[in-house]
Amino acid sequence: MRNRLNYEVVIIGGGPSGLSAAIKLAERGVKTLVIERGRFCGSKNVFGGVIYTSSIKNLVSDFPQVEPFPCERPITEEGFFLISEKGLSKITFLKKEDTPQSFSALRAKFDSWLSRVALEKGVDFALKTKVIDLIKNFRGEIKGVVVERPESWESSNPAQISAKLVIIAEGVNRVLTQKAGLLKRDWSSEEVVLSVKEVIQIPKNKLEARLGIGESEGLAVELVGDITLGLPGTGFLYTNQSSLSFGIGVFLKSLVENKIKPYELLEKAKAHPYFRELFQEGEILEYSAHLIPEWGLEGFPNLYGKGVLAVGDAVGLVNPIFREGANLAIYSGIYAAETAYEALKRDDFSEKTLSMYEEKIKSSYFYKDFLLLKDLKKTLFTSNQWFNFYPQFFNFLLESYVSSRGREKREVLREILQELKRKRGKLGILRDIIKILKLFW
Amino acid sequence: MLNLLVSIKQVPDTTNIRINPETGTLIREGVPAIINPYDIYALSLANFLKLRYGGKITVITMGPPQAVSALREAAEFSADKLILLCDQKFAGADTLATSYTLATTIKYLEQIDKPFDLYLFGKQAIDGDTAQVGPGVATRLGVPIITYVIRLEKLDPKKREIIVHKKVEEGIEVIKAKLPVLITCEKEVVSVPFSPVTEIIRANKVNPEIFSFKEPISFDSDKVGLKGSPTRVHRVFTPELRTRGKILNLEEEGLEKVINLIVEILKEKGIL
Amino acid sequence: MTKENPEVWVFVEEINSQIKPVSLELLGIGKKLATDLETKLGAILIGYRIKNLASELFSYGAEKVYLVEHPVLSYYRHEPFRDTLAYLAFKYKPDILLVPATPLGRDLAGGVATCLETGLTADVTELAIDKEKRLLLVTRPAYSGNLMATIICPEHRPQITTVRPRVFSIPEKRKQAKGELIEEKIDLKEENLRTQRIGFIPKERVVNLEYAEVIVAGGKGVGGKEGFSLLQELAKLLNGEVGASRLAVSAGWISHEHQVGQTGKTVRPKVYLAFGISGKIQHRVGMQNSDLIIAVNKDPSAEIFQIADLGIVGDWKKVCVALIEKIKRERKP
Ligand SMILES: Cc1cc2nc3c(=O)[nH]c(=O)nc-3n(C[C@H](O)[C@H](O)[C@H](O)COP(=O)(O)OP(=O)(O)OC[C@H]3O[C@@H](n4cnc5c(N)ncnc54)[C@H](O)[C@@H]3O)c2cc1C
Ligand SMILES: Cc1cc2nc3c(=O)[nH]c(=O)nc-3n(C[C@H](O)[C@H](O)[C@H](O)COP(=O)(O)OP(=O)(O)OC[C@H]3O[C@@H](n4cnc5c(N)ncnc54)[C@H](O)[C@@H]3O)c2cc1C
Ligand SMILES: Nc1ncnc2c1ncn2[C@@H]1O[C@H](COP(=O)(O)O)[C@@H](O)[C@H]1O
Repeated sequence: MRNRLNYEVVIIGGGPSGLSAAIKLAERGVKTLVIERGRFCGSKNVFGGVIYTSSIKNLVSDFPQVEPFPCERPITEEGFFLISEKGLSKITFLKKEDTPQSFSALRAKFDSWLSRVALEKGVDFALKTKVIDLIKNFRGEIKGVVVERPESWESSNPAQISAKLVIIAEGVNRVLTQKAGLLKRDWSSEEVVLSVKEVIQIPKNKLEARLGIGESEGLAVELVGDITLGLPGTGFLYTNQSSLSFGIGVFLKSLVENKIKPYELLEKAKAHPYFRELFQEGEILEYSAHLIPEWGLEGFPNLYGKGVLAVGDAVGLVNPIFREGANLAIYSGIYAAETAYEALKRDDFSEKTLSMYEEKIKSSYFYKDFLLLKDLKKTLFTSNQWFNFYPQFFNFLLESYVSSRGREKREVLREILQELKRKRGKLGILRDIIKILKLFW
Repeated sequence: MLNLLVSIKQVPDTTNIRINPETGTLIREGVPAIINPYDIYALSLANFLKLRYGGKITVITMGPPQAVSALREAAEFSADKLILLCDQKFAGADTLATSYTLATTIKYLEQIDKPFDLYLFGKQAIDGDTAQVGPGVATRLGVPIITYVIRLEKLDPKKREIIVHKKVEEGIEVIKAKLPVLITCEKEVVSVPFSPVTEIIRANKVNPEIFSFKEPISFDSDKVGLKGSPTRVHRVFTPELRTRGKILNLEEEGLEKVINLIVEILKEKGIL
Repeated sequence: MTKENPEVWVFVEEINSQIKPVSLELLGIGKKLATDLETKLGAILIGYRIKNLASELFSYGAEKVYLVEHPVLSYYRHEPFRDTLAYLAFKYKPDILLVPATPLGRDLAGGVATCLETGLTADVTELAIDKEKRLLLVTRPAYSGNLMATIICPEHRPQITTVRPRVFSIPEKRKQAKGELIEEKIDLKEENLRTQRIGFIPKERVVNLEYAEVIVAGGKGVGGKEGFSLLQELAKLLNGEVGASRLAVSAGWISHEHQVGQTGKTVRPKVYLAFGISGKIQHRVGMQNSDLIIAVNKDPSAEIFQIADLGIVGDWKKVCVALIEKIKRERKP
């Protein structure tokens, strides 16, 4: 009986990062257990969400030619809606691709599909099971996990599950990352974005008509401007098969400081004339709120410890500006699996061996992005003009243009420049331009 | 050693059920499927009995391929054998056809193995709320039935006797019955167990046996599915609302005015 | 003699030699159906020492009473009642059989329908006859009340349905009504029965929601047990009962017997006071036949206002407390 709860690798969390690690390990014949507290993988997750073909192909090479298809629509139109009080300007790029690079997805469906892939490869799952602690030996090496459930019908104590290596894929609430001693510091409220989201059901043909897309086309846009009640942040709108994912994310700190309830953000945004019409007769299927880790490099925990690796959101692998998260979770899971496999081969789970994981992360493209992101975030989120003034000004510009007929155009232009000067000041504009240039140089 | 049968149904989690008003069909997107809540108690009771007296639990369900997940979840209650009755021909069954299909399967199982001592059903399925399948199956099996069971007082495997509490409108009946007997369970009957993690891991990977219309039993095609269902849906429509009356805002109108209005109404109706 | 049309039957539920009101309600609607079908209304009386009830059934519209008496039938058990009713139906071939959708009736009907291999529609809220096809049109909530479905049973007889208490009203009693009493003998032996009642624990207080004249109901918005004690106080003052939504029941604030709605009880009081109830369809189907609905809810868009005769947008507690005080004050001379 004893040895029943004995695994080579135990993974805490059945999100994209944990499942990717599990798939890669099972492919190499490693005895792996994924522990997920939700009723099924994806049941506890909120997701915008767009996922990227390139990252998933690493796990399931046939993707997107798979049955049942785990995503909603291919993304064929992508870009921004710049929002002002009265209207909005759309800047979107229409993509014509043979194999779509990205798809909209709902996590409940996507994650449970990924978990089935893992199951078929031989991964064991403990669903509805919460990890409450880690087993450490006297040398401080992590040797397994403790779960809430007992081991057998006869016992009532939390079961101990031993593992040669533990991968922490617990997501943004880093309880076990902390217990593992990996956390250098906890995040602060200006480093996490609270994202509130609704999935709104719209009759299928109406959805397509209202957004001007075809049956097998999909839209993914970021919403900037007058939509966050003036707080720095953005919104998003993604098309699912017969519903829309609509959400807004703002920094937790500004929500708390301005005493705004997350739900109010959505309510306000939905009252915008464009969205009111878009969501007409819509039925809310789901409302949820979730934190997005945007602490960046400075907030990264140690990526590894004795007998343990951390992946995905638990690390903070989210690039908010370029909407990368799930794919980074997948890459980190794959790197972790490769490292774990090497460690198993050597039967050595010391920090020295596991540091290979950090090297892999550091040589990835996204790590370099994080270096860039550091300044980008400072620029964008410390001042409000990017999220409020410019998008609204752009609308003003277009509105002036379209309503300029029958007037002297020089006068219209003067008005526009005056507005710009009044709201931002000549110097301000200059400073903004320099800031942006500096970033990418 | 007890030989226990549990019959479960997978239902949409109807607390957030939605209907497409145009087509009148169920919107399944985002509606998770769950084991009918009352059936969870049937499973829990089976689990309790197995732990206490030893034995074997067989779980059956009739439903679409997705119902495999319901059976996997049922396995967490230390179920040994899981059977999914799944065939296009079974679809569209009303309670009569359902009870035929289930009872025929149960008879077959008893034939290839041994008779069951207890048949455990939920009080009713929350999608249809009919509570007819249990009595239907009991009738076809020719076993006694006790519905609305809220407590198991005693089970004597040697004397093959059981004493249960059954909820009726006026109180509680204490009923003694000879095994085998079919029971339909209320929520009070036993508490839901906290399954051990070993059981949880095992359950997630079990593969239920799938019975089709042809294999391994041959059903009477006139008695299953839509064809075997005497009832037909004639028309579906959205319920009408009654006309709306007066709406007052408490703050605007003032508490006193509102209270006086209510009292007036109560007097008018002869209540005060 | 011309052949008579097959009859409409009502199964009569009785307790301690008292006919349950729901049986009378079924006689009322049964009579209508029988008239439409130009046939007779039969009442089925199964039990022990209950012959005296027949006259009451006649006075509520039954033209025939089929009576089976036997010691084995002195209290309800599924098997003997099922077999007896199925035997009668098999012998006399009624067109329609109405059974109360009480716990007893639901227990019975499923077995009878299976014995007779015929269709059964549970929990109906509306009954009508398609005269041309001589078909019973049965309407019931489907998909937890979000939709209504009309169901028919075209090729099998009898057409069996269970009908909820309080969906139809009790017909007027006719004095000195007469009818035909048909007594049937049936061979039953206690030794052959495998279940036995060996005890009975009566309920301390039966909540009589279905027949209450006033119901003071509370939902999730009432916030807890303390809230329900206030409602209890108001109900007492009004001589009524306390009702509840499912969420209040599942929160454990009050027992299930008080639940109104699709999985609770159907009620039709003179006045239904709804405090902090959103008025979801599953709740509405249980109370929308109330004579008058007064609803208090702080959310102006709450669905309950769509059916309320008087809707008050505001805090339920303020209204409830003030109402209690006002009534007390008025009562004190
Ligand atoms: C609103 C929103 C929109 C987004 N949109 C996008 C997008 O469009 N594209 C994109 O690429 N990314 C997007 N992301 C980011 C992306 O969702 C995450 O980066 C990704 O899900 C991280 O995966 P993960 O596996 O690390 O963590 P998670 O997905 O959070 O998974 C962690 C899992 O661990 C489980 N768990 C936690 N603790 C325990 C425990 N103690 N015991 C057992 N189980 C536990 C949880 O239940 C959960 O299932 C979005 C995020 C949000 C919130
Ligand atoms: C198959 C099925 C069967 C069901 N059967 C039933 C059934 O039989 N009976 C039943 O009731 N439900 C039933 N339900 C559940 C039903 O769908 C609803 O969930 C339930 O009725 C809601 O209960 P509620 O109105 O108390 O709670 P909520 O919907 O949470 O509403 C609470 C209301 O209280 C208001 N409120 C809050 N605070 C205050 C205050 N201080 N003052 C005034 N108002 C306040 C809120 O605005 C809100 O409208 C069933 C559901 C399903 C799927
Ligand atoms: N399709 C089915 N497969 C297996 N069991 C069922 C099925 N439908 C109903 N049951 C059982 O019968 C009980 C009553 O269901 P119902 O008569 O539909 O309310 C349920 O609680 C289940 O135990």
